[in-house]
Amino acid sequence: MAIYLVGRVLGGLVTLFCVSALAFFATALAPGNPAAVLLGNLATPERIAAVTHEMGLDQPLPVRYAIWLRHTVTGNLGTSNLSFKPVNDLILAALPPTLELAILSLLLVVVVAIPMGLVLAQGRDRWWARPLSGLVTLGISVPGFWVGLLLIVLFSVTFKLLPSGGYIAPARSLSGNARAMVLPVLTLAIYLIPALVRFVRVTAATVLREDYVDTARAKGVGNAGILLRHVAPNTLITTITYIGLQLGVLISGAIVVEIIFSIPGLGRLGMNAVLNRDYPVIQGVVLVAAAGYVIVNLAIDLAYSMIDPRIRTR
Amino acid sequence: MSAMPAQDQTAKAMPAARRRRGGAMLGYLVRRSPVAVALVALFLFAAAFGPWLAPHSMTDTNLSQALLPPNATNWLGTDQLGRDVLSRLLGSAGVAAKAFLIVVLIGGIFGTLLGLVAGGLGGFFDLLISRVTEILQGFPTVLVAIVVVALLNPSLTNAMIAVGLAAVPDFARVARGVAIQLRDREFVEAARGLGAGEMRILLREVLPNMIGPLIIIASFDGAQAIMWEAALSFLGLGVQPPAPSFGSMLREAQNLLAIQPSLAITIGITVSAIVLGLNLLGDALSDYYDQGNR
Repeated sequence: MAIYLVGRVLGGLVTLFCVSALAFFATALAPGNPAAVLLGNLATPERIAAVTHEMGLDQPLPVRYAIWLRHTVTGNLGTSNLSFKPVNDLILAALPPTLELAILSLLLVVVVAIPMGLVLAQGRDRWWARPLSGLVTLGISVPGFWVGLLLIVLFSVTFKLLPSGGYIAPARSLSGNARAMVLPVLTLAIYLIPALVRFVRVTAATVLREDYVDTARAKGVGNAGILLRHVAPNTLITTITYIGLQLGVLISGAIVVEIIFSIPGLGRLGMNAVLNRDYPVIQGVVLVAAAGYVIVNLAIDLAYSMIDPRIRTR
Repeated sequence: MSAMPAQDQTAKAMPAARRRRGGAMLGYLVRRSPVAVALVALFLFAAAFGPWLAPHSMTDTNLSQALLPPNATNWLGTDQLGRDVLSRLLGSAGVAAKAFLIVVLIGGIFGTLLGLVAGGLGGFFDLLISRVTEILQGFPTVLVAIVVVALLNPSLTNAMIAVGLAAVPDFARVARGVAIQLRDREFVEAARGLGAGEMRILLREVLPNMIGPLIIIASFDGAQAIMWEAALSFLGLGVQPPAPSFGSMLREAQNLLAIQPSLAITIGITVSAIVLGLNLLGDALSDYYDQGNR
């Protein structure tokens, strides 16, 4: 068990290290001198050279990477080239909206998609199975962010019920926060639900063919009992792993949704940084998002190995 | 890469069917899923001949003709700069087809090679390649795109390199699965007995047997590529205005939601129809190869 644990943690750290190197070198090798960008068109060459030296940009690349890595490991992500604020502060300020959006959406997805997938698997011969499956295929084919635009047209423009964007911290106004989050959460959830429904349906259909389901049926257990007591638990473990693997899709989706609804989260911070070539911020955002991805998958792996001992020995 | 359930695809894609004549396949697809064939054919036609079919210029602006509703000269109306929406949609179809090609080529070539080596040689190679593709598999595509675009520049090709990287694991998984199934079969043993090297065996004996499953993945991942082109260009990481693409058009339409919502609706329905066609085609292809195996 201990070996398994150490192995998984080391694997996660290696992933993070690779991502950090990638994030650093991609931005360090990018064309354009950040010092020149910073000073604008009117700067003299001497001034640019001085600032380049000040920012440490004239040092050899490996030296810069070593310095950057040392700062990053000690939790200092540097200073924004654009606003001169510490990247740590910018990310800490951007994290709550992103986390709220991601967690609320994920909850909605799980609550809707898992029962829907289970019911679709069991009722695959009923009259409503085909239209519902068709709806799922349609859902997979519709761009998620476009659904967001449609929701804005419907709820903000036509009925004027909900704001079309912006973010209000729950500490300032709980109802304002709720109103602002309805459309973003709905958009992200609608983007993620069809894929999970499909996955649960396929997994549950496999479980339904197991012998113990026949045994339970022979013993007189009803449809609902079979679904809840036999199929759901055995579908759930695989589903949790799948959700962990889909975390990247969730992060991507959250970034797009933040842009549509102008939510000042991690995604918008990162996008603005890319468009303004604000390299320290790009590195910080990529690193924090990657860390979130690695940590959650590690947690799922570990939880999984506690539930099912067979996995540790694999 | 995709929001598609991986198991679903692989389970269907796995059986290695011998290739049959293309005519039989097309006939089956038309009977099984006429909607898919019609949508994909329409898309390919628009992508190939868009510049000749377009009734007006895709980029010429004319402010006196701005935001017209659908009419006899502009069948789908005009945008905020007076450009013909239908012409721009036809141009976007060409961009979407390019996105499809880039992603399927990157994912298909690198993914298939990695999968072949992992499944065919096994051992250390398998372990290494499986770990790397596993990491690549789940990593947020938008973050990869942000890094690629930060290094290079916002453009269709660069955005699609990021999406192509995310497609590599899908192809690798299928190629690896088929390679493992086949590496100890009689005809492979026979080739080995005749003195063929491992790499030659993989390319000459194993690769032809996975064309079917790979086509299925190409169909699904191509659909995803078109969605990603729209999303990344919408974010400003892909096609740049004034060039038309589904994403760049939607980006401009977002500012007009309150004035002319029909613009965003028209563009979105077009993208969805293309992606739906490709997804349905993928399903039908899965059934075709499944059925051939029974």
